[in-house]
Amino acid sequence: MNSSSSRTALTARVGLVAAVASVVLILWAPWHWLALLGALLFACVPAGAAVMCWIDAGESEAQAALTLITSVTVFALASAIMIWTSAWHPRLLCALLIPIAVSCTARLWCPGRI
Amino acid sequence: MTRRVGTQAVLLGAGVGAYAYGVSQLRRSLIGLHGLLASANAWFTIAFVILLIGFALELRRPHPRSWLLIAFLIALIVAIHATVPILYGTPEYAWVYKHIGVAQALGRYGRITDSSSIYQEWPPLFAAVAALSALGHVNTLAFAAWAPLAFELADAVLLLAIFRSLSTDRRVAYTAVLLFEGLVSWVGQDYLSPQAFAYMLWLGVVLALVRWLRAPEPPHEPASPLARLRAPLLWGLAAPPPTTRRLRTAAVIIVAAVYLAIVATHQLTPYPALASVGVLTVLDLLRPRWLVLLLGAIALAYLAPRYNLIAHNFGGLFSGGNPIENASGSAGTYHAGAEALTAWIVRALAATMWLTSIASIFGRRRRLGTVLVPAALAFTPFVLLVFQRYGGEAVYRVYLFSAPWCAWLIARGLADLGALRHRWWLGLIVCAAALGAGLQGLYGPVAVNSFTPTELTASRWLYSHIPRGALIILPDENFPVLETANDEAYDLQVMPADPQIGETWLDEGNLPEIEAWVGDLGHTTAYIPVSGSMAAYAAYFGAPAAYSEFVSSIRDAAGWTVVYRSADTLIYRFDLDRASVVSAPRPTATVPARMVRARAPSPSRR
Repeated sequence: MNSSSSRTALTARVGLVAAVASVVLILWAPWHWLALLGALLFACVPAGAAVMCWIDAGESEAQAALTLITSVTVFALASAIMIWTSAWHPRLLCALLIPIAVSCTARLWCPGRI
Repeated sequence: MTRRVGTQAVLLGAGVGAYAYGVSQLRRSLIGLHGLLASANAWFTIAFVILLIGFALELRRPHPRSWLLIAFLIALIVAIHATVPILYGTPEYAWVYKHIGVAQALGRYGRITDSSSIYQEWPPLFAAVAALSALGHVNTLAFAAWAPLAFELADAVLLLAIFRSLSTDRRVAYTAVLLFEGLVSWVGQDYLSPQAFAYMLWLGVVLALVRWLRAPEPPHEPASPLARLRAPLLWGLAAPPPTTRRLRTAAVIIVAAVYLAIVATHQLTPYPALASVGVLTVLDLLRPRWLVLLLGAIALAYLAPRYNLIAHNFGGLFSGGNPIENASGSAGTYHAGAEALTAWIVRALAATMWLTSIASIFGRRRRLGTVLVPAALAFTPFVLLVFQRYGGEAVYRVYLFSAPWCAWLIARGLADLGALRHRWWLGLIVCAAALGAGLQGLYGPVAVNSFTPTELTASRWLYSHIPRGALIILPDENFPVLETANDEAYDLQVMPADPQIGETWLDEGNLPEIEAWVGDLGHTTAYIPVSGSMAAYAAYFGAPAAYSEFVSSIRDAAGWTVVYRSADTLIYRFDLDRASVVSAPRPTATVPARMVRARAPSPSRR
C-alpha cells in the first residue's frame, strides 16, 4: 500500500471513528460538555473525512486541513439550509452520519481513489 | 543529540507549567489600562520565553521533529488565546454578544425572522453555532469565549498545510505559523464572528488552490507577448504537485462549495478573496482560468438580492474612493496614554511586517517565482483600501488578509540568511518581537474588552426583568448586550457622545440635556446600565469624555432609581415623569432626527 492509499484509508478510519464517537457523545453523553465535544467533533471531522477518504491531498497536514475545512463547510451550509427552509431540527444533522459512514466504509472496502 | 531533544521536551513541560502557574496567579482587579502584560507576574512572561526558546532549539536541529514543533505551537496558541477566557470566563468584546444573540435567535425561532437584518441574511456561522449549541445542550454563552482559541488552532492547521506546500523547508513553514500567530494576535478578528469563520474558510480555499489547482510549469520559451511579460515573475517557480483531471475536478467542486459558504457567511470577505484568485489567475498561476468567473458568479448571485442591505450598512460595495482615509483606521479615537502606546506598538508591528516582507521579496528578485504566490496574496488585499471604507476598519482587514503570506515571506527571508552565523538568534528575536508586540496589542485593552461574570449576569437580568419594548440606553457601547436576538423587542440606544461610533453632540456631564434627549426618544421609562467595563472604556479611549460625571450626577438625581446592583454594575430606571427634565430647559440645538436614534452598530465591529 503506497503512502497515498494509506493516507486516504486512514482518513476513512478516522471518519468512521469520529462519526460513531460524535453520535454517541451527542445522544448519550452524561455531561453537557461531553455532548458539546461530540458536536464539535461532528462539525470538524466526519463529513470532510467522507470526502477526503477518496481524494489524496499529497501530505498529511494538507489531508487533515482539507478534512477539517470540508467538514465545517458541510456543517455550516447544512445548518443554514435548515434556517433558510424554516425546518430547524438540529438533531437531523446526525442523519448526515449515514452517508458519511457509507462513504468511509466503501472506501475501506473498495480501495480506489480519485 | 539525545540530550538536546530531552532539553526541548523539558522546555515544553516547563513552559506549560510556568504558564499554568502564571495564569493561576493573575488577578483581574490588578489589570490596569496598560493591559495584562504590564500587570502580569514573571511566571506568565517566562512561560512565553521558555516556549519560544524550546521551539527555536527544535528548529535548529538538522531534522526538526514535527510532533515537538506542533506541540510547541499548540502550547503557544493556547497560552495566547486561553488566558482571557480563563481569567474572565466570559466572551471578550461587546459586539460578540450581538453575534451570540443572533445565534440564540436562530436557535429559538428556527428561521429568518427579520429579512432586513444583515446578520440573519448571512446566517451560516450563526446557524452552525446554534446547531452546536442544540447538539451540545449548552448555551452559546458557555463556549463563545473559547472561539478565538478554536479559530486560531484551525487557522494554524490550515496555514501549516499551505506553508508546507509553498516550501520544502519545514523550518520555514513552522516559523511562519509562529510568526503569523504573533502578527495577528492583536488584530482581534478571531472572536465568534462571521468574518473569523469566513477567514478560516478562505484559508481552506487557498490550500485547495495551491495543492491541486496550480498551473503547469510555464514553457521555457514563452510564446505570447503577455507570457513574455510575465516570464521574469515566474523565474524559479517550483513545479506544481502532481494531479489528475478527476482530482482537479473534485478540487474545483470543493473550492466552489467552500467559497459558497464564505459568500453566505460574511458580506465582505468574498471580495478580497476573489481579488486574490483573480491576481493569481492573471499571473497564470491557476487552472482552470474560468475558476475566478465561477467564484465571481457565486458571489454576485448571493449578493444581488441582498445588495440593499450592503448599501445601507456599508454604503455599497464600492464606498471607498479615498485609500488614504480608508487606511487611517477607526476615526475619532482618543490616542493618548495607554491607548496611544498600544496603538503605536501595533502600527510599528504592521509597518515592520510589510517592509520586511518587501525586503524578503527583494532578496529573491532573481528568483521571483519562488515567492510569487505568497507575494501576490500578501499585497492583493490592498485593493480593499481603494474600494471599501468598511467603517474605518478596512485597514485591519487588509492586515489580516496580508499577514499569513507576509509571515511566510519573513520566514523565507530568515531562512535565506543561511550563511549568517547567528541566524538562529535572529529568527528567535524576530519571533519574540512579533509575539511581544502582538500580545501587547491583544492584552493592552483587556480591561476594556473583557467583561466580568457579574456584568454578564446584570445584562441577562436586564433582558429577563424589563418589559418587552422597553428603552435601554447605554452611556457607552461597551456593555454585553444581547439585543440583536430580539432587536424588535427592545429599543436599544447608545448615547451620542462617543466619536468612535458616530457623530457626537451630547454632553454626558449635562444631566438636563441627557434627560431631554431621553424624552425625545418617545418612552416614559428607560433602563440605563453603568458598569466597570464602561468606565474602563471611557478612561482608555477618553470618550465619552464626561462618562464619570454622568455616573456621579445620576446617583441622587430625581427620577433615577437603582433597580439592579452588583459588584461592578448598576442598572438605573429613569422615569421621565418624576425627573427634573419636565421643567428643565431643552437643549438649544435642534437635534436632527437621524441623531436621535443611535447608529446601528457595524455587524463586524472590531
